[in-house]
Amino acid sequence: MDLSTTSLHDFTVVTNECVADGIWRMRLSSTVAPLIEPGQFVNIAVPGDGSHILRIPLSFKRADAEAGTLELLYATVGEGTRRLSAMREGDKSTLVGPCGNGWRLPQEPGRALLVAGGIGLPPILAAARMLASERVGFDVVIGARTYAMHVLPDAEEVLGYGQADGAEYDPDRRVILTTDDGTTASGELGRKAYATDGMSDLMAERAYSQVYTCGPTIMMASVAHMAAEHGIACQASLERMMGCGFGACSCCNVELVRGGYALCCQDGPVFDATEVVW
Amino acid sequence: MSTVSMAVDLGGIKMRNPLNTASGTFGNGWQFEGFYDVGATLGAITCKGLAAEPWAGNPAPRLAELRGAAIMNSVGLQNPGVRGFVETYGEYLQGLRDKGCQVICQVAGHSVEEYVRATELYEELAPFASGFEINISCPNIAKGGAAMGATPEGAAEVMRAVRDRTERPILVKMAPHDVAEIGRALESAGADALSLINTIPGMTIDVHTRKSRLSRPTAGVSGPAIHAIAVRMVWECAQAVAIPLCGIGGVATGEDAAEMILAGATAVSIGTANMVDPSCAPRILAELEDWAESQGVNDINELIGAFEC
Ligand SMILES: Cc1cc2nc3c(=O)[nH]c(=O)nc-3n(C[C@H](O)[C@H](O)[C@H](O)COP(=O)(O)OP(=O)(O)OC[C@H]3O[C@@H](n4cnc5c(N)ncnc54)[C@H](O)[C@@H]3O)c2cc1C
Ligand SMILES: Cc1cc2nc3c(=O)[nH]c(=O)nc-3n(C[C@H](O)[C@H](O)[C@H](O)COP(=O)(O)O)c2cc1C
Ligand code: FES
Repeated sequence: MDLSTTSLHDFTVVTNECVADGIWRMRLSSTVAPLIEPGQFVNIAVPGDGSHILRIPLSFKRADAEAGTLELLYATVGEGTRRLSAMREGDKSTLVGPCGNGWRLPQEPGRALLVAGGIGLPPILAAARMLASERVGFDVVIGARTYAMHVLPDAEEVLGYGQADGAEYDPDRRVILTTDDGTTASGELGRKAYATDGMSDLMAERAYSQVYTCGPTIMMASVAHMAAEHGIACQASLERMMGCGFGACSCCNVELVRGGYALCCQDGPVFDATEVVW
Repeated sequence: MSTVSMAVDLGGIKMRNPLNTASGTFGNGWQFEGFYDVGATLGAITCKGLAAEPWAGNPAPRLAELRGAAIMNSVGLQNPGVRGFVETYGEYLQGLRDKGCQVICQVAGHSVEEYVRATELYEELAPFASGFEINISCPNIAKGGAAMGATPEGAAEVMRAVRDRTERPILVKMAPHDVAEIGRALESAGADALSLINTIPGMTIDVHTRKSRLSRPTAGVSGPAIHAIAVRMVWECAQAVAIPLCGIGGVATGEDAAEMILAGATAVSIGTANMVDPSCAPRILAELEDWAESQGVNDINELIGAFEC
């Protein structure tokens, strides 16, 4: 039995800014940065309110081992994430990490398709960076409720992942943005589409051997279903309410097809989509 | 380094210090090894409640956060069964014993027979168990659990049945009601010590959907918000029985642990605090030692039940 390597780390906020409607990007410096793998998460204590005791589990977009920094993207949905958005440069707190098991590289050769919905974006960006560093070709679909909620700079950045050195390996990479309400960059109403519609479009054009997804459960369920129909392997990063984040409380159960439950924080958050009951 | 002797005897379980962990909030110990050296730090750990056969536990969601420093869970004793537990964690837990940390194994069941069966399996398979804690107070299972411990007669019946199956010390995990009366019945039935309290049954309703925020209508409340209630119950129980108590409920600081000891607890378990502040145990222990020293005693035992009313 392997002993746990999850531990407590201090962190200091480097930057914290609003980057889209209700969505913030935080860069923090922490000793967890060189230890964490794409798709893993951290469990953050947000100071300032003793009446809320639970930490907030957050995935990350990018870990820079050399700089010792971690970049998060988060939506302000409640009390804790709103207080997180009030943290300023130099503010300090603690986080528990690295938590869980991250993304796995594709087992089969071929392109990967990445599908993010809403604030499922950060781990998908981390997966994209991981694939780029392994020279695996991929395309990305990012869905948002409305155009103002798209984190545009981060979405655009994906086109350049792994291609900065000029030795381009994936020149035809596509990044497709969808909006549920049809809003567009120009302000004119366009196509109302879910991320899964973007996924269908791409699958009609290109062959994939692996799907990576994170977003609302209902979206991931469709993604998993479509991948299975095409016989493509699919990894999904799941969310649950979390108590500890490291396997100590059994609060974050995920129902399995073979019966019984796995723990999201310890056995996931990344699961083989065919193993979970959607 | 503290000059106060911190060793205590919890009904035959000799602890190097009074700190224990509350079942279900501490995994089976190994999850905390990245935070501190569990075996070298704690007086004891209490493992997750286990039945003879694996239990799946309740559906999701199992956890809600409440306003006012409390959480609510409906885990429902998801467990791999005694055999699976020993196979996976036995070696690690023996290692804790070797380092001087006691290992308390928790016994769960839906019926007297099931408690007996689980105890027999532990006896057969778990030489590392320093003693057992019978859980007759889980509010999150349909049969057994809290229902078994609801009356003095029911509690005593389980206790007697398990008593016949083991020589090792037996603790009983009590529900947050009638602790004096049920405590006396358990003492008469042969309990070596009592642990209290388990979570307090509560409800949390999503007013938009009119449904429970958890997968069951009621579930167990824990965390700092229940501390004062737990201290009161430890005090009431301590006045009713002569056997030692393990105080549980909302302990997050050395001062919280000290309150439990003053109210009559010999040992103190950390529960929910392990989940939100996983490295809290060494800090709580240091704070407890500082407090004992500040009280001018040579031995922490002098402070057990030293509350002045
Ligand atoms: C492994 C994991 C990774 C995550 N990564 C990210 C991320 O990168 N960016 C991001 O913005 N969010 C992420 N989340 C969700 C995030 O943890 C929650 O949005 C956050 O905890 C809400 O806290 P709050 O106090 O602001 O909201 P609360 O006031 O507690 O609740 C507001 C709403 O958020 C929901 N919620 C609360 N906790 C969770 C949770 N653990 N998971 C899902 N929904 C929750 C509640 O049901 C409620 O509807 C992740 C969750 C998990 C489990
Ligand atoms: C997630 C969770 C799981 C629990 N599981 C168990 C269990 O298996 N057996 C048990 O006797 N008590 C269980 N409890 C109750 C705790 O051991 C403890 O009695 C209670 O939480 C009160 O202490 P606290 O406020 O310090 O958490 C659980 C509590 C929580 C929060
Ligand atoms: S959150 Fe505690 S086990 Fe997953």
